[in-house]
Amino acid sequence: MHEARLGSVRRRRTLVVALTVAVAAIAAIVAATALGKSTKKTISIAIVANPQMQDIASLTPSLFTAKTGIKVKYTILDEGKLRQVTTRDVGSGGKAFDAVMIGPYEAPQFGVAGLIKDLTSMAKGDKTYGYNDLIPAVRNALSAKGHLYASPFYGESSFVMYRKDVLAKNHVKMPLHPTWQQVASIARKIKTSSMAGICLRGKPGWGDLGAAFTTVLNTFGGTWWSAKSDGKPDKAQVDQPAFKNALDFYAKLVQDAGEQDAANSSFNECLTQYQAGKVAMWYDATVAAGLLEAKDSPVKGKNGYAFAPHYKTPSTGWLWTWALAIPRSSPDPTDAWKYISWATSAQYIKAAGTRTKGGWPAIPPGTRLSTYRIPQYKAAAKAFAGITLAAMKAAPITHPGTTKRPGLPGVQYVGIPQFQDVGNRCTQLFSAVIAGSMKDTAALKQCQQIASQAIR
Amino acid sequence: MKRGARLGVGERRSVAAGIGVLAWVVGLLWIFPVAWTVLTSFKSEQDASAQTFHHGLGFGRYSDVSHSTAGTLSLQTAFMNSLVVVAVSTLVVLVLALPAAYALAIRPIHKWRDVLFFFISTKFLPIVASIFPIYVYAEKWNLIGTRTVLIVLYIAINLPLAIWMTRSFFMEVPRELIEAAEIDGTSLVNQLRQVILPIAAPGIAATALLCVIFAWNEYFYALQLNFANGTTMPQWVVSNVSTRGNFLAKLSAASTIACLPVVLAGWAAQKRMIRGLSMGALK
Amino acid sequence: MTAAAADVAPRGRVGDPFSSAWRRRLPLLPALLYVVAITQLPFLVSIYYSLTNLKDKTQSLIPEPTKFVGIDNYKQIFSDPFFRQAMWTSVKMTVLAVVLSLIVGTLFAILLDRRFLGQGLIRTLLITPFLLMPVVAALIWKQQMFSSLFGVLNKVLTFLGFNSVQFISDHPLGSIVTVLVWQWTPFMMLIMLAGLQSQPSDVIEAANVDGASALGIFRQLTLPHLRRYLELGALLGSIYIVQAFDAIDVMTGGGPGSTNVPYYVYQQSIGGGFRYGAASAYAIVVVIFSIVIATFALRVLSSLFKDEERA
Repeated sequence: MHEARLGSVRRRRTLVVALTVAVAAIAAIVAATALGKSTKKTISIAIVANPQMQDIASLTPSLFTAKTGIKVKYTILDEGKLRQVTTRDVGSGGKAFDAVMIGPYEAPQFGVAGLIKDLTSMAKGDKTYGYNDLIPAVRNALSAKGHLYASPFYGESSFVMYRKDVLAKNHVKMPLHPTWQQVASIARKIKTSSMAGICLRGKPGWGDLGAAFTTVLNTFGGTWWSAKSDGKPDKAQVDQPAFKNALDFYAKLVQDAGEQDAANSSFNECLTQYQAGKVAMWYDATVAAGLLEAKDSPVKGKNGYAFAPHYKTPSTGWLWTWALAIPRSSPDPTDAWKYISWATSAQYIKAAGTRTKGGWPAIPPGTRLSTYRIPQYKAAAKAFAGITLAAMKAAPITHPGTTKRPGLPGVQYVGIPQFQDVGNRCTQLFSAVIAGSMKDTAALKQCQQIASQAIR
Repeated sequence: MKRGARLGVGERRSVAAGIGVLAWVVGLLWIFPVAWTVLTSFKSEQDASAQTFHHGLGFGRYSDVSHSTAGTLSLQTAFMNSLVVVAVSTLVVLVLALPAAYALAIRPIHKWRDVLFFFISTKFLPIVASIFPIYVYAEKWNLIGTRTVLIVLYIAINLPLAIWMTRSFFMEVPRELIEAAEIDGTSLVNQLRQVILPIAAPGIAATALLCVIFAWNEYFYALQLNFANGTTMPQWVVSNVSTRGNFLAKLSAASTIACLPVVLAGWAAQKRMIRGLSMGALK
Repeated sequence: MTAAAADVAPRGRVGDPFSSAWRRRLPLLPALLYVVAITQLPFLVSIYYSLTNLKDKTQSLIPEPTKFVGIDNYKQIFSDPFFRQAMWTSVKMTVLAVVLSLIVGTLFAILLDRRFLGQGLIRTLLITPFLLMPVVAALIWKQQMFSSLFGVLNKVLTFLGFNSVQFISDHPLGSIVTVLVWQWTPFMMLIMLAGLQSQPSDVIEAANVDGASALGIFRQLTLPHLRRYLELGALLGSIYIVQAFDAIDVMTGGGPGSTNVPYYVYQQSIGGGFRYGAASAYAIVVVIFSIVIATFALRVLSSLFKDEERA
């Protein structure tokens, strides 16, 4: 028996050795080939994981590589991770990407700091680019001191979406330019036990709850920081009455007439609830309309749209765009620009209308005036195209509130580097207020501390 | 009586059957969320988010996630990268950990406690902090976007676990057997093969499985150090997450695909983890 | 008698490569040198960063040179109330998750230790929660289990006549601990199973023949044998669970009840603060705390570091 065991042990040993050698050999071969470079020119782009971006990634081989011979490698990440990776890459002079997708929060800041290339001369000099076709507010949001630092691929503002049938049943009309008080009273009136009045973001994050709340804050006359004459932040204003009013209004509205699980709801959660008929109104990004009116949407055709509610300021819709920028340390800026001018051109938008699964409603919105003159798009997006364009044009990026803002322009954020961290940590506290687990006074006190320390 | 056999002396048949049923009930309840996820992967996105069944079930999401165009991370690329990284790193971990455990359990060195403590202390530094120096050096040595950097890091993060676990299982080896082998003049390698491994096999299988699972699912380093085509399965799975639009069905499909290889590895490790009936040789 | 007792190496004379002490050290060296090389470099660099005000270049519009600030970062940590809160949350989260998953994992291991129809299948199925990516597991629980409108748990509750519960909004820590326990129980189960399998069967058989009850055998023979594995599971589980990150990011996005130390450090560095110097200081403080706790746990409480004595 000992012999038999030894024999089988010996056989097993040979097998293990053979397997190890095989695996090692395969690994070595595969690892070596993984580092090999192809002879075609290849550029590396980092983009965000939105449907429009996924579309361009699938259309690139046929529409771009076929014409220019430049292969494109995409890194597709969700917003949070994309920001981590691109900020780190741009900030440390990394060579991983030839172009990166950033927003109007980062673009002017990175541009002023000299970390991304100035695109103005390339954009103006390129006849097919259509520099003047860009929606002015969008172009200005991505520029600093007249220099364009990123080219917009996708743009959104914010507005109110509501179920026409539910409002009609309650004999309520939504004005085209409502005030927050009007929206709040409508929400409280139309809510039932099975359908909430309104869906508002509540998930912590400067781009989640922070975006929606800051637009409310602006129009209530509040601000995160006051500004010095040179544009630097002066003092944190979280302890001011206007801030408290805005937070109380927002939290109370959500608690009284808002969605379930509000404290961890953002765009996707509200989208699901709205489509499932669990909320009657929704204040969020204009791009949501494209999803609500999509072919397979259960609420297609039932929705009305109104401008973002206001109070003490005339217009309050936010402005966000995903735009392509070239890091200063980009390995191949020339080809990167060739890609950018194709990807953000009016020609691509027209091509996308007929070639993507979502069709015309799914083309990248909110970047160019010409988009809103395309007949097929106007027809397919009849319900919301006009109001989207108007909202984007009216976004008050230089003067979002009733007082001067520090930093670079912006509506739903403050254009200083410290805002990310302050916004993230304060919205965590505000989210707890919405959930009812923290008192507003305690949250405001802690947030004031955070905001003051950040600008010291 | 051998372990794992059907009935113990004095045990009643009904008790054994009852425990079998209990195990089934518990098992099915426990994996219910996983089963629900697999079910979700067959739904449309609307149905997935709202937990309804309006559009029926189908394989649409699977074809959505496995289809990719040139330039985006494909399932095949991610899978090959993961396979190579996991296989190589786990193999090296075992090759390094077995002798190390020998030196800490069978014929321990004087400072075995300090060494064990050192190994575990390497896991105290939060990876969000260590990423920046690692990134800086990987960039310097041109390792960003390669499999090598991931293999090197995964070995380092799995070694402490492997050494601690293997050492515990080596401690079960009876002293007499070791002494007998030494008297016979058997080398370290043969001692491992003939005496220690057969006894510690279930534990080593469990250790290897855990190393495979940790390496397969490791996401943070893969995200921060690898982009586009160089990256691994977790990146491929998470690339289905979208901030503007529902994605739960696609994510479920992608996760199901990503889990299958590790489930198979677990199934294969099962056999080794059941201590054999041939342990009569022990006596 | 098992291996370790009475066989600890003699101190070797340092210079003598053939002394038995060095022969004992040799098998350990490859692993030891490898780990030292790969982990200590980042650690030392982190210490260096923690003494500077290193920030990402995107954080200042005019380039700021990185300067040495000595222990300023550390001084700030001790007056930071949010860090204290994060540490307390970390303690609660880790202890709850480790203890609960140990208990459930041990029960599962006992259940699975005997042969029954489909044992291998059930064992594989029970491991599956551990095979999911933490991000995916958190998303599943958030949307499909815990959601107040669509979640399975609430559908069951309302079916039974109760009100639906907003699990994540009202019980953030509990929700996160649930997901952690669900994922880590298989880890504990694997360790405990291997531990149960390594129990010498002759002793059990003898006890059975002597007429001992199943419960008695468990209490007096199995449990002491398992003690080492319970402690191993607790130690290894704590090391991993204390670093839990994805569940918090996905389910609650942070917040006073659910931000633990890794999430807090993340926010200081690549999660928005981009203050690498300050974040490194936090990380070093965490390492020091962990070393203190682990030293206490291992050398005072645990049997893992004692010389073995066996029945």
